[in-house]
Amino acid sequence: MSKLDNPSHSWFFSILVFLGFLGLWQVVATAELISPVFFPAPQKCFVTLYEQMNQPEFWQAFWQTISRMIVGFSVASLCGVTLGAIIGLSPRVRIYIEPTFELIRPLPASAIIPVFVLLMGLNDSMIVAVILFSSLWPVLLNTVHGFKTVEPRLLEVAQILHLSQMEVIFKIALPNAMPDIFAGLRLSLTVSLILAVVAEMLAGTTGLGQNITLAARSFRSADLYAGIMVLGVVGYVTNTALAKVEHHVLRWRAV
Amino acid sequence: MMRLFKGLLIPGCVLGLWQWLVLIQYVKSESLSYPSAIAAAAIGVIQDGTLLVAAAQTFSGAFSGWLLGATLGIVMGIAFGLSQTLSHLMKITVETVRPIPSVALIPLALLIYGYGVLLETSVVAFSCFWPLLIVTESAVRGIEPRLIEVSRMLNFNLFDRVTKIILPAALPRIFVGMRLAAAVALVVSVTVEITANPMGLGYALIVAQESMRADRMFAFIGWIGLIGWSLNTALLNIQYRWFGKMGFWEEQV
Amino acid sequence: MNTTTHNPLLCVESLNFKVNDLEILRDINLSINDKEFVCIVGASGCGKTTLLRMMAGLLSPTRGHVSYRGQQVVGPHREIAVVFQDYAKALLPWRTVAGNVSLALEGCDVPAVERPQRIHDLLCKVGLEDRAEAFPVQLSGGMQQRLQIARCLAQSPQLLLMDEPFGALDAMTRQTLQDEVTRLCRDSGVTVVFITHDLEEAIYLGDRVISMEKMPGKIGETLVIDLPRPRDQLTTRENTKFLAYRHQLFKLLPSGH
Repeated sequence: MSKLDNPSHSWFFSILVFLGFLGLWQVVATAELISPVFFPAPQKCFVTLYEQMNQPEFWQAFWQTISRMIVGFSVASLCGVTLGAIIGLSPRVRIYIEPTFELIRPLPASAIIPVFVLLMGLNDSMIVAVILFSSLWPVLLNTVHGFKTVEPRLLEVAQILHLSQMEVIFKIALPNAMPDIFAGLRLSLTVSLILAVVAEMLAGTTGLGQNITLAARSFRSADLYAGIMVLGVVGYVTNTALAKVEHHVLRWRAV
Repeated sequence: MMRLFKGLLIPGCVLGLWQWLVLIQYVKSESLSYPSAIAAAAIGVIQDGTLLVAAAQTFSGAFSGWLLGATLGIVMGIAFGLSQTLSHLMKITVETVRPIPSVALIPLALLIYGYGVLLETSVVAFSCFWPLLIVTESAVRGIEPRLIEVSRMLNFNLFDRVTKIILPAALPRIFVGMRLAAAVALVVSVTVEITANPMGLGYALIVAQESMRADRMFAFIGWIGLIGWSLNTALLNIQYRWFGKMGFWEEQV
Repeated sequence: MNTTTHNPLLCVESLNFKVNDLEILRDINLSINDKEFVCIVGASGCGKTTLLRMMAGLLSPTRGHVSYRGQQVVGPHREIAVVFQDYAKALLPWRTVAGNVSLALEGCDVPAVERPQRIHDLLCKVGLEDRAEAFPVQLSGGMQQRLQIARCLAQSPQLLLMDEPFGALDAMTRQTLQDEVTRLCRDSGVTVVFITHDLEEAIYLGDRVISMEKMPGKIGETLVIDLPRPRDQLTTRENTKFLAYRHQLFKLLPSGH
């Protein structure tokens, strides 16, 4: 395995393998071993994607989905961390609230969509509300966990050093909760993308989710695959961006 | 006892307030129904058989997908865990396909399989595959090196090494992965039913919503939550029973 | 070492501690004088850590009291610092070495402009000045404990309470740190209460060694250590008086140590 010990070599061969799979796909699709309705050639998919990206409607749909996702995620994260901190720091509040959490936790996020549809109708604000509501829980629950599991020894040290209440929260409890908070943020990000797509499919409003639904309905498989690729890229980019932030904030963990 | 009471205080007050507001006609009951009607509907869906049928449909899709995805994930995970070369070679491919949200595949699966169980199975399998792949690879890598050396000393062939040492040693963590994947399977199959598949609990939810039967809608939501909770609790119990004795550390969910 | 018996720095009077009918400490009376280095030894479970935590103000006695400079201790006092045995848990993993020392200065409201210099001085005193930007997890056990000591000294304490600080370290590191701590405390004029289950360590370090019995925790004998300072790991430990003290303490503690 000497060729793969070098990291850049490893990347190179890995890319080769990936291209190999693409090549295999191209061969199988062109030879129509599987019906091109289900299995269009990658070359066709990429061409279609390129054509899509040259049209303003694509970017409209793209920004619609992304903005809903980001807005919902950001607001949910802010509320989740703040509320989670308050709840996590107060044992008395937790006694009243945690059982309610346990009731809500097992619910699939998408199951609450019909409730919001009944309340708000099939429109943009419904989608953002759904994303907000569902993205709130992973961040909130993880933040509560992070704040309530502060090492007791550190709290004693804080007492001995006569740190103020604010200092304890910001210098000890918050940094201690950061790993948990980021775990929650990662989950929430994934949830927000998923629910953006699902809500769009249900509501029929403009967006990437709607694009692929329409493509499937009219049997335009190349457009469908292109749309799936776009969603994959969105997932990848957003997750990587968050991971970079996490890596920087939690750099003390990496050493 | 006091703790239980305090814990139920908030849900109790919310339900009570809701019921009272509707009773005094302050809030119209059609849009969101009210607790006593929901409770009646919750029982009603058992009595008219819809719950059982829907649950069975969801279960068939979720279970088959979970089994398929988890098995493939475990097999690949063992392969990746045992062979660094393989893991490195496949890295780009894995990292390209993994970020695709499983819901994005629903239209594709619909195109290929049409309505029915296979639609759910395929999407659920995709979403269960990745967590098991990662957990299994990590578990295999993390096996006490001493045990691997022992298997070498005993001259085990690959099959024996996997079945007698690797799998048992990695099993506790793999089980945790399967438990988490089960929750994912339930969520994904309900999602597939909500968006596309006209069967199962998710579809029952949509039907209730579209026919403005908020009481049935909330009843189904409650049942879905209960089923999810029971599933997780049952699996947790099995986990403690089987693996608790091995001195296995518990991961927080 | 001159000991003034008139105005003890720390006084423990008729201290009792019970938890759910289990008597942990019974009738503890002792006084610590200024600039003394007092070691408390006893078998595991005799309550010496509990006693130390009461001196630190982290725990309240059921009866009796602890007074520092004549005032009753009801909570942690600014002039009292504590070095815990589980150093890894007592350090902030997300702050660098310098950041951990800084925490004590922040708690004492030292202005930000003064902090870097004081941190540097303290790190030099414990020999960690070139690891200032490292994180605790990157340090060895001995270095982490030195970091904790540096943080305690940053409080400019008058009384240093040390709870089996070297218990988790290997023998060689322990010896090095014993000498370092002695030197540091003598240089800064700090009074020390040092808890250990290691008899020889107690005799080596202390001006006085108090032994505790267990079940319930009581003060046993007090030995005044009449050995010359500065102490030396080799010669002091071979000193006949050292061996005599050791013999005495060994007989006092039930299971050896």
